[in-house]
Amino acid sequence: MHAESSPVIHTRHLVKSFGRTPALTGLDLSVMPGEVHGFLGPNGAGKSTTLRILLGLIKPTSGTARVFGIDPWAEPVRAHRDIAYVPGDVTLWPNLTGGEVVDLLAGLRGGADEGLRRQLIEELDFDPRKKARTYSKGNRQKAALIAAFSRPARLYLLDEPSSGLDPVMDDVFRRHVRRVSADGATVLLSSHILAEVEQLCDRVTIIRSGAAVESGTLADLRHLTRTRFRVIAANPEVVATVQGIHDFRRDGSTMEFDADAADLGTVLQALATAGVTAFTASPPSLEELFMRHYGGQATGYGTGQANRQPDQESPATPATPVTRESQVR
Amino acid sequence: MGAVVRLARLQGRRDCGELAAWTVGIAGLGYAAASAVTTEFAADTERAALMGVAAASPAFLFLRGLPDGIGSGAVTFFQGYSFTAVLAGLMSTFLVVRHTRADEDQGRAELVGAAPVNRTASLGATLLLGGGANAVLALVVAAGFTGAGLPVTGSLLAGAAVGAVGLFFTATAALVAQAMPSARSANGAAAALVGAAYLLRGAGDALGTADSPLHVVAAWPSLFSPIGWGQRVRPFTDADPRPLLVLASAALVLATTAVLLRNRRDLGASYIPANESGAARARPGLASFFGLAWRLQRGTVAGWCLTAGVLGVVAGGLGPVVRDALAGNPSVAELIRRVVPGEASMVDLFTTAMLGLAGIMAAAAGIQAVLRLHAEEAEGRAELLLAVPASRVRWLGGSLAIAAISTTAVAAAAGASAGLVLALVQAGGSNPGTVFAGALAHVPAALVFPALTALVFAIRPRWTSAVGWGALAVALVLGQFGELLGLPAWLQDLSPFRHSSAMPVEAFNRDGALMMAAVVLLAAAAAARLVKERDMTV
Repeated sequence: MHAESSPVIHTRHLVKSFGRTPALTGLDLSVMPGEVHGFLGPNGAGKSTTLRILLGLIKPTSGTARVFGIDPWAEPVRAHRDIAYVPGDVTLWPNLTGGEVVDLLAGLRGGADEGLRRQLIEELDFDPRKKARTYSKGNRQKAALIAAFSRPARLYLLDEPSSGLDPVMDDVFRRHVRRVSADGATVLLSSHILAEVEQLCDRVTIIRSGAAVESGTLADLRHLTRTRFRVIAANPEVVATVQGIHDFRRDGSTMEFDADAADLGTVLQALATAGVTAFTASPPSLEELFMRHYGGQATGYGTGQANRQPDQESPATPATPVTRESQVR
Repeated sequence: MGAVVRLARLQGRRDCGELAAWTVGIAGLGYAAASAVTTEFAADTERAALMGVAAASPAFLFLRGLPDGIGSGAVTFFQGYSFTAVLAGLMSTFLVVRHTRADEDQGRAELVGAAPVNRTASLGATLLLGGGANAVLALVVAAGFTGAGLPVTGSLLAGAAVGAVGLFFTATAALVAQAMPSARSANGAAAALVGAAYLLRGAGDALGTADSPLHVVAAWPSLFSPIGWGQRVRPFTDADPRPLLVLASAALVLATTAVLLRNRRDLGASYIPANESGAARARPGLASFFGLAWRLQRGTVAGWCLTAGVLGVVAGGLGPVVRDALAGNPSVAELIRRVVPGEASMVDLFTTAMLGLAGIMAAAAGIQAVLRLHAEEAEGRAELLLAVPASRVRWLGGSLAIAAISTTAVAAAAGASAGLVLALVQAGGSNPGTVFAGALAHVPAALVFPALTALVFAIRPRWTSAVGWGALAVALVLGQFGELLGLPAWLQDLSPFRHSSAMPVEAFNRDGALMMAAVVLLAAAAAARLVKERDMTV
């Protein structure tokens, strides 16, 4: 029905206000068929609001949203036909067992694939006989994930899907994202966990205060940021003044600095004349990129771990990039 | 102790709007009853005529209470005490469950439990808040009675009799909350106990013996009802505060037991254990909005049907008492003939009054089924449901269908049991088929309430519960007090039940039923249209 090149998700100047509180302030988001697209931003940036607009649960104040070319507010039933959704905060019916919840949710979408259902329950170590009231956050999340992945869909909308899962279960989750992606499905994965996005996503959109601030492949985004150098050289001072160098620090013959991607050539030429005896260069991590977009507010996001602290509670930190070498690659 | 007071203040802050509404509503009802008596029945002869009819009619005794002479205060107490006491009981049970079992369900109790307070602090705070709320209620009710022109001392005692029942049910609900595994079941069980208190008092009063024409002494069932005890205070005649002490002592024993039980159990555990496991697969019918709505509501519907059935059995079982009530009192029988036109028998009059009550229960069951929608949305489950390829209209429709089934089933249960028992005890009156039809005749009017609730849900979900229950309360007051207060006809006509048929006394009112059915369809259609137009609250 649609040409392969038309985006599965497309929003333009999407604005949503709840009363006087703006949630989205002009979001442009485009997700192409077959992509695993990371939707990255801190709590309160507007990720969940965007997903709810894409599902037609709430109506945009202005701007347009299209899913498979369909306006989800006007035609939610048609738009939902090929969507599987996992909300960020899963609440279930306390009186229903986990198995019943899976059957209910998958059944409303047309019924689960029995083999997939069995496989997911087994791999996620899920007890379908327990009533939902006894489930922890992680188990509630599992129920929603099993319901979502046990019936093939063309688009998976996943709102911080692994925030309640332990690392082993997280691995199962990633496998299934790769499986549906290999089958040609499109995935929009909202997260504030950088490691998750780095491992799974082809492309990333970073959202801040209701608008996209950056969008592209991981390589594109890395290109925008700086490489970290640690060099031992006979004449370190010849590098200090080169264009594109930041946060230059020198201790005897050892120096550390960051270099802009655009000026790497110049920097390397300067290094060639500096009498280098030892040299490391670390690629920029997504974390650093993230940090730059959130300025001084986002120390909590620097470790690549789930950190559910709302950002206003994070201590203010200087806007300078981290000085340690990044462990995330 | 300091922690308990602080927690009680926190809980009170969460509740102040809701408690204020309950208090003003209950006191307003008392004020309305009192001013009706002091203005519409100002002369002794008018009150004597009113009480003459009432004392001789077990239906009045069952619904209202015990006649105690013709003083303005005594007549007011007779007219209004039972209802205000029931409302005080409901206010208290909902208050207690909200802060105990519901907080444990929602996980808020865990946060408080992690603070440096002991295990029972939160429950103690709730009991303190319940006691305070009922003390305030007693004073406001007393102020209402005084404002309507009743004596101050009697008003204070009458207010205390209302508050004491509230206090009793505060403690009862605290105990129930220890036993029941969920807020919903705790609310249901505690509210059923309030209903049972009303029914037992009703049965005791209807079976009571008149020691003088206008003074009736209750029979033994009333002793098992806290409302029956409150009634024994007789605040405006031979005032006796000792029943208040009985209620307060009972409350103290129950509350102490609740605290001891709380201290012995785990957070989130219950003495009646919840079913922790079940089927690994859903039955085929579950995977639809209708199937889900039925699964969620079926227990509640069964509870309502059981309660309505009990009401029917009580109504039918009192048939012979009703039949014999006038045997020795031809002058009052003559009076009733003049007040109630037509050739209706006493048994039919009583049955008609009971079926009216069944109609209100049917409406309440329907409202509750629709309120599920709001709970699904407010608690975040609607987000999961509405991401599937099925429309919101079908979601709403599933619950509305269950509401219609609930309402009809509750009316049918009351009608069937009343008709059957009436026939078994051979009290005379109408045949079982007519009684059953009389119960079903209330269904169109009762359905207006769930339909209206659905319409409010479609427009302003936050107001769903308040408007749904509020509308039923207004209809109840209009129906029970409208004539008494001499309210204008157009105002009384606002109550849907004015348009249903008071069978078997009256004939079936086809036009009224059709009109109510049209209102129901219009409201449901508007709800279906408008629910698509708003944001889901997520």
